Amino acid sequence: MALPGTPLRKRRKIMPILEVGVLVALLLVPLLTNDFHTIIASRMLLLAILAISFDLCWGYSGIMTFGQALFFGMAGYVSALLANKAGFVQIWGIVPVSMAVGLVSAFLISWFLLLGRRTPTIIFVALGTLTASYAAERLVAGWQWIGAANGISVWDFLKVGPYEIEPGPTFYYIILGFLIACYLASRWIVRSQFGLVLAGMRQNEERLAFFGYRVQRFKALVFSFAGMITGLAGGLYAFHEGFIGPGNLGIVQSTYAVLYGLFGGVGTLLGPVLGVGAIEMIAFNLSDIDELKPYWPVVLGAIMLVVVTYRPTGIMGFLISTRERIGTFGLIRDAWRDRPKPDDGGSGGTA
Amino acid sequence: MDDAIKLIFDVAAFASIMVLVVSGLAVIASLMGIFNLGHGEFVLLGAYTVFLFREWGLPIWLGMMVAPLVVGAFGAGVERTVIRRLYAQPVIAMLATYAIGLIIREIVRGLIGGKYYAIEEPLSGAFQMGGISFSVWRTVIICATVATMVGAWMFLTRSRTGLQIRGALENAALARASGVSTARLYALTFAMGAALAGLAGALMVPLFSLSADLGVRFLVQAFLSVMLGGIGTFSGPVVGGAMIGSMVPGFQWLREIPGVAEQVSPVVAEVLVFVTALIIVKFWPNGLISAGRK
Repeated sequence: MALPGTPLRKRRKIMPILEVGVLVALLLVPLLTNDFHTIIASRMLLLAILAISFDLCWGYSGIMTFGQALFFGMAGYVSALLANKAGFVQIWGIVPVSMAVGLVSAFLISWFLLLGRRTPTIIFVALGTLTASYAAERLVAGWQWIGAANGISVWDFLKVGPYEIEPGPTFYYIILGFLIACYLASRWIVRSQFGLVLAGMRQNEERLAFFGYRVQRFKALVFSFAGMITGLAGGLYAFHEGFIGPGNLGIVQSTYAVLYGLFGGVGTLLGPVLGVGAIEMIAFNLSDIDELKPYWPVVLGAIMLVVVTYRPTGIMGFLISTRERIGTFGLIRDAWRDRPKPDDGGSGGTA
Repeated sequence: MDDAIKLIFDVAAFASIMVLVVSGLAVIASLMGIFNLGHGEFVLLGAYTVFLFREWGLPIWLGMMVAPLVVGAFGAGVERTVIRRLYAQPVIAMLATYAIGLIIREIVRGLIGGKYYAIEEPLSGAFQMGGISFSVWRTVIICATVATMVGAWMFLTRSRTGLQIRGALENAALARASGVSTARLYALTFAMGAALAGLAGALMVPLFSLSADLGVRFLVQAFLSVMLGGIGTFSGPVVGGAMIGSMVPGFQWLREIPGVAEQVSPVVAEVLVFVTALIIVKFWPNGLISAGRK
């Protein structure tokens, strides 16, 4: 049995070190760099939430989503419209509304694509999400009332009570807080008994179905949750960037979500965050070279090709073992911790 | 009445393009179980070849003849270098084709910029029949499609290789056990599918203008066609392609009804096609052809 215990305790655990390391690094960013770089880093954190949501779908539940940006962009549009048309910029309103938009739209899509009489094939879901994202982009780009192809500029700042939050260190820490919340919530989900079902689905979906699990409902739940956190990121993104456009809900942004996830390493949650960091930092440094700029997406495509063909575990594959990537799950761990043994020195803190 | 015939003719021209695109996608998907997410970009590549020939001052019709060969060769190269390693993992193979599509799309975008290019028809003008004028080029498209489809059907049902392909489709393991090299068949099929996409791209470029995002639109429509028609048969995807291909201009034409044009913009009409198709798929998940058979 691969229960966490003596054999595992001897192994050095790398995941917690990585998590703490990344957290400390992220906390230090505004202190060590100037405002300009902090603003760019804030944007990356928002994209990291998008990437985590892709990982939840693809890495943990086998939903190949090529339209994750749909929820990102829709929430962005709704909060931009709230600011511009209704003059409402309070964060306590914007955040729940964005999350609700993401949740509801993701639920509708998953209801349509996943919860049918027949089990949907992976390709049906993949192209269904792609179609939804593409159609939304086309619709928005042709709709004058919401700015058509030019998108919407948001001139107002997000507010907490009477205080305006300009992009900068304060906004950075607020976003970081949301990212940590999303990360911990996702981590809790995939490490719980619910996550064990998801892991079983990855191994053998049919067998899980024969056990009596309604596999598609589990997928729909994860998809809706992922849509919710994406919506949160999108709503904040509109304010942080001061702009939201058709590109943010279309295939371009969706493709980026896929890239971040695959490059960082799916099925790890932390991998996508690293993926965003790596890809966006390279992009930022390359953006000074004008000759390279048009071909940067080509490089991204090549990276994606190499990763999926040769290195499906992404960056995280270099850092942690498969065993640690799969990890342990909720109740078993608790049962192990509470096992009737006198010499148990509270060793339950695994994963 | 004349208008109706003209409309049917125009719709048939658009449907023909879609049939070509979809048959290429479906032949790969049904034989290898790999849904080529870069198929739209293969179409784009065919269109771009024609554009290149025009830029070089060569005749456009020559470009249209060469385009299927170029794209077919490209497809063979992709199969040889990437897809071949991934037959055991179809899902990973799909991600790889998506990446390949992204690479092609962005290279073309880099080469032509964000612009739209109109390419003139190699055979312009119209001919009269029964008092109605028909565009020559659209007639060529319809004839070329019918010829290709008949050729493909003959190839699959009459030739020895076609028999092997059908055998591999039915039971790949048994085909291998009988001494048929499925690897060779897969390579051939992938190249053929790519060539069909290239042909479609080359023929349609005078009707649509060339832009980097052309491929995505065709991928989405081809996907809906395959879903509508059902996979695994020759006729299913062809019928699905014809349906989607005629729904797209058909829905645009519905805007001609007085009072509708103000309410429904062209984009909305396009999206309505997607919605309609998805709803049909939702209720007939196995596709229309297999649904009709049961």
